Amino acid sequence: MSNSALDRPTFEAIEAYVLDRMSANERAVFEQRLTGDAVLRAEMELEQENIHAVELGGVTRMLKSIAAEEVASGKSTAQGNWKQYLKYAAVVAIILSGSLWLLRPSANERLFAEHFAADPGLPVTMSATHDHAFQDAMVSYKEGKYAEARNKWGPLLQAEPINDTLRYYVASASLADGDAAAAVPLFEGLAEEPISAFSDKSRWFLFLAYVKTGEVAKAKAISFDGDPTYAERVRAIKAEL
Amino acid sequence: MLRFPADPSFPTVEVTVTDIETQSHWSAGLRRNDPATVRALYSKHFPTVRHYVLQNSGTSSDAQDMFQEAMTVLWLNVKEGRLVPDADPGGFLYRVAKNKWLDVVRSAAHKHMKVVHDDRALDHRTDAPDDIEERIVRLRGVYDKLDDKCRAVLDQFYYERKDLATIAGEMGVEEESIRTIKYRCMMKLRAFRKAISGEESEVI
Repeated sequence: MSNSALDRPTFEAIEAYVLDRMSANERAVFEQRLTGDAVLRAEMELEQENIHAVELGGVTRMLKSIAAEEVASGKSTAQGNWKQYLKYAAVVAIILSGSLWLLRPSANERLFAEHFAADPGLPVTMSATHDHAFQDAMVSYKEGKYAEARNKWGPLLQAEPINDTLRYYVASASLADGDAAAAVPLFEGLAEEPISAFSDKSRWFLFLAYVKTGEVAKAKAISFDGDPTYAERVRAIKAEL
Repeated sequence: MLRFPADPSFPTVEVTVTDIETQSHWSAGLRRNDPATVRALYSKHFPTVRHYVLQNSGTSSDAQDMFQEAMTVLWLNVKEGRLVPDADPGGFLYRVAKNKWLDVVRSAAHKHMKVVHDDRALDHRTDAPDDIEERIVRLRGVYDKLDDKCRAVLDQFYYERKDLATIAGEMGVEEESIRTIKYRCMMKLRAFRKAISGEESEVI
């Protein structure tokens, strides 16, 4: 392969071959030349790879763009095709506005929504066979499939009712699933077990569960004195109750 | 050519994406860099990879990275005509992404992690042979050498498959100018590649 510049007609002939823009006849003739000309063959391989390099740049950009769209759509599905539904939405909004006023969430529910963020879950390390069911449920939990996670953990909790990890995550999945009533008894037990690694977080989520269900007196009764993580936030929320 | 046997551990994903139901459709689409084909493959097969990575100490972001790398390997295999006619893109993407994630998990930074199923020994590593991986790195290095002006023209011509007249019209210049720019940019790449191969020969 020569180090001097490749002439333009040869460059463009190779290009047409690589991009499949030759007629069947032209292609057959060109392939004949390739068979007998090692230098041309080397030039063709080099040009093909350079074209692939350019295409790869575009494919990489496209993949990143699709990934970004996937992430965005996951967060804002409701924003899609809004124009399509605008006129219906306007009518529905007028009809429902009065009802919504009556059915608006209570101040407590708004406070809960403002401060609640589901526990992120545990890293999934599934080397032990007996852990498989637990970890499978944890994957569901981390994917935001809280009802599915509760269903998977349920039998495990029945088998091991004192397991604090199971109690905590069943309670967390219940609360994240909107079922504060199911979460409260589990969090109440854990909050009273200072030896448990989940004790502090359970007190916080129990507090929020009481806020959500309107049990203000019970919420206010939970002490967070000396708790460096939650004391400040709890004080602010209590001031609004 | 690579052959991709059915993977019993690869679950079926119930997504209706009719455009990629047949190999001729999806591989032809990838060959011409068709965005709709890439999106369809992404929508249909990413959830399975995401599930595997999440199951093995990873995050959604990790899963995106693994899937994108696997898609790149699939794309280059199609471009180079390495696929057999009945190749299954879902199984291919799953195996490549899984092997890449296992490599990450086994790296020094992730030695504390454990994995559910490390059946890599049973996997067909030929799905992503090392030379493909190396070539992808090399191709990215070549692309990085292009300046903005060259990228603007070459991207449209080679990646987006626009004709010279369309590119010229959009850039407000004569068609012949675009043709010349394209030729000069490709000659720069050629010179760069020759310089690299010259250095390699000297080392050898």
